[in-house]
Amino acid sequence: MKSALAVAGTSLLRVSKDRRALLFLIVLPVVVILIIGATVRGFSTIRVGVVDLGSGAAGRSLVSAMEGSSNLEVQRYPTLAAATTAVSRGEAATAVVLPRGMDAALRAGRSADVAVLANQSNTTQQAAAAAVGSVVAKEGARVQAAYFASSRALGTYEADLRAAASLQRSTPQSRVLSRVVDASSQTLPEGFSYSAPTMLVLFVFVNALASGAVIIETRRLGLYERMAAAPIRRAAIVLGETLAYFLVALTQATLIVGIGALAFGVSWGNPPAAAALVILWALVGAGAGVLSGTLFRTPEQAGAIGPPVGIVLAMLGGCMWPLSIVSSFMRELGHATPQAWAVDAWTDLMSRGGTLGSIAPKLGILAAFAAGLLLLSTLRLGKVVARR
Amino acid sequence: MRVVLLIAAKDLRQRLRDRSAIVIGIVAPLVIAAVMSLAFGGVSNFHFTLGVVNADRGPIAAQLLGGLRQPELRGIITTEPVGSPAEAAAEVRSRRLQAAIVIPKGFSTSMTGTSPQSITTLTSVNNTLAGSITGSVVSSFSAQLNADRLSLATALGAGAPLDRLAALEAEASGLRIPERLVQRPVGARELKPISYYSPAMAIFFVLFVISFTSRSFFVDRDQGMIERMRAAPIRPLQILAGKALSVFVFGLASLGVVASVTTVAFGAYWGSPLAVGVLCVAVVLSVVCLTALVIGLARTQRQAEGIASAVVFGLALLGGNFVFVSSEPELLRRLSLFTPNGWAMRAFTDLSTRGGGLGTVLVPVGVIVAFSAGIGLVAAALARRAVTS
Repeated sequence: MKSALAVAGTSLLRVSKDRRALLFLIVLPVVVILIIGATVRGFSTIRVGVVDLGSGAAGRSLVSAMEGSSNLEVQRYPTLAAATTAVSRGEAATAVVLPRGMDAALRAGRSADVAVLANQSNTTQQAAAAAVGSVVAKEGARVQAAYFASSRALGTYEADLRAAASLQRSTPQSRVLSRVVDASSQTLPEGFSYSAPTMLVLFVFVNALASGAVIIETRRLGLYERMAAAPIRRAAIVLGETLAYFLVALTQATLIVGIGALAFGVSWGNPPAAAALVILWALVGAGAGVLSGTLFRTPEQAGAIGPPVGIVLAMLGGCMWPLSIVSSFMRELGHATPQAWAVDAWTDLMSRGGTLGSIAPKLGILAAFAAGLLLLSTLRLGKVVARR
Repeated sequence: MRVVLLIAAKDLRQRLRDRSAIVIGIVAPLVIAAVMSLAFGGVSNFHFTLGVVNADRGPIAAQLLGGLRQPELRGIITTEPVGSPAEAAAEVRSRRLQAAIVIPKGFSTSMTGTSPQSITTLTSVNNTLAGSITGSVVSSFSAQLNADRLSLATALGAGAPLDRLAALEAEASGLRIPERLVQRPVGARELKPISYYSPAMAIFFVLFVISFTSRSFFVDRDQGMIERMRAAPIRPLQILAGKALSVFVFGLASLGVVASVTTVAFGAYWGSPLAVGVLCVAVVLSVVCLTALVIGLARTQRQAEGIASAVVFGLALLGGNFVFVSSEPELLRRLSLFTPNGWAMRAFTDLSTRGGGLGTVLVPVGVIVAFSAGIGLVAAALARRAVTS
């Protein structure tokens, strides 16, 4: 055991001296969590552009109603061209064009066409247009009422508009009651609570694959030969190397959990369950890392092929987008990767208040993945060490 | 010139012999594009089935159902009658229906009374888009009902005599909200995920050329290769030009292959070939200059690896190669315009959505070339030292 610890210690020392490793271990995951977390913040709000071509009071009132709506985020554009560009680039989901002379037309009892930019086939734009539509309709109700009354010589337009606004607040209305039929979400929460667990799963695995280069380097330097010359058992070498990979993965995962909780306010769910998940994931990472060190021939190969393989597995496993939005075939295919089970377990912990008991089946599958990978990597590393 | 070509050819041969370069330059971006196209292949046309519990069966409920079947919604919503609210809730929970609405008994008649009834939508947390579309459609409908009621109330409040109530009621029911929403086409092609991520991944992996070229430069130097070249009648600039040319050819080939394969096999739309070509040349030019910069800045192979990793991942993160840059917050969108790949991604987005030719990419290409020139000047001064030292 002492010699296994010594082997692990040596490997860890080499990793800690490599500044590049530090970049991948801490800096990169944190930056990615930050950027993705900031981006997926807006799942529930729709960004809407507004172009005012001189609509007057009615237009201003409509814009402030949109700004007051909880699911719209209004951004003004100076020209129609600027708004069109923003919508086609996806910077705004749709844009509302308030026509010139809108207020005057409404006062005169004419209708005013508020254009909303949306392609028929684009569902994001259609959903945004529908959301804008309900704000416009509520606003338009007051205008309809004001003209209806004032045109029948019942008060002035301004007075009726004010009266309608106050009646709209005070009289009972037919509402739309929304009932959510299932409380348990199949996806992670938004923002950093989305990016932190998925990127933990992604980076621990990718980093492990890439750091297979360390074992290859050890092979090249002939360190295993020298170790074999000393009275160290082969099992101790294999155990030591695996232990080093496990500790690196565990450190990285723990740091991401810590930084996520402290800097980004991520709540990781039930602590014992989260700890078990982190440990199992580090074991999966250790198995994958040692395996990569024995499969690839050169450190460049591990560095070049490892990350893309890790990224593809992460995509399939739901680290880049929730598997609930892909086809059922892709969802099933995704669950051939350990990543999907880890993300599922995090979703259970973070969105549904899961416990050690409720995620036990997923932990079991992850344990099987870890056992399989570790067994395979042990056999291969054993061979590599014996060959010397 | 012959010397430059010789050095470039030797570098390219070396690169092709090392299989990891092929993996990075060609295989990885294609595999990732394939996964993306599989993952998003089925969801580009969003459509859902809406359950309808019609306990009212009155004229207003019929109006609503007619509205749900109007041509604009036909592509998105299919309605299906359901017997009871409990049944509808169970169907939504089991995901057979994506959302449902319940029109209560007596809904139509309650509209003329003082306590109007409400429609209930049943939605699932796992299909928020279907939920929000359902909510919006039903809201727009009930907004018209409320507008008619509000018109009547306002008229009465402004002093309309009660004996005119029936007449006013009839007039109000024929009103239409005067602020009408009309949909206008954006005049742009829809940006499919595959059309964004194909260039994004292609550029990301071309950035890796910075890593392995700078690394191989220092390996060459440590093995005395550069010294031996210097012993021959070759000027340092020729050595650099040869290396730069090999980076250029490899990068361009990688982008070209990924563009062709993703277009033919996965239906990605990159845009007008001429504009795409010019943009790719500009991107690869910036990669060449960045490679020279890394070689100039680093002193050892280790340093080169570290600086290159920081440059590659820094640029890819900021420029929008991992996340769709347009949906990022304003600050990040601005930051992306400090990177050549950020400008390239914006240009590729414009090409793929709004079409157009060289005119569309003129400004981005100009910015990328200017960026490359700036980096190139600094790099030339620094890299000369790396070769001569």
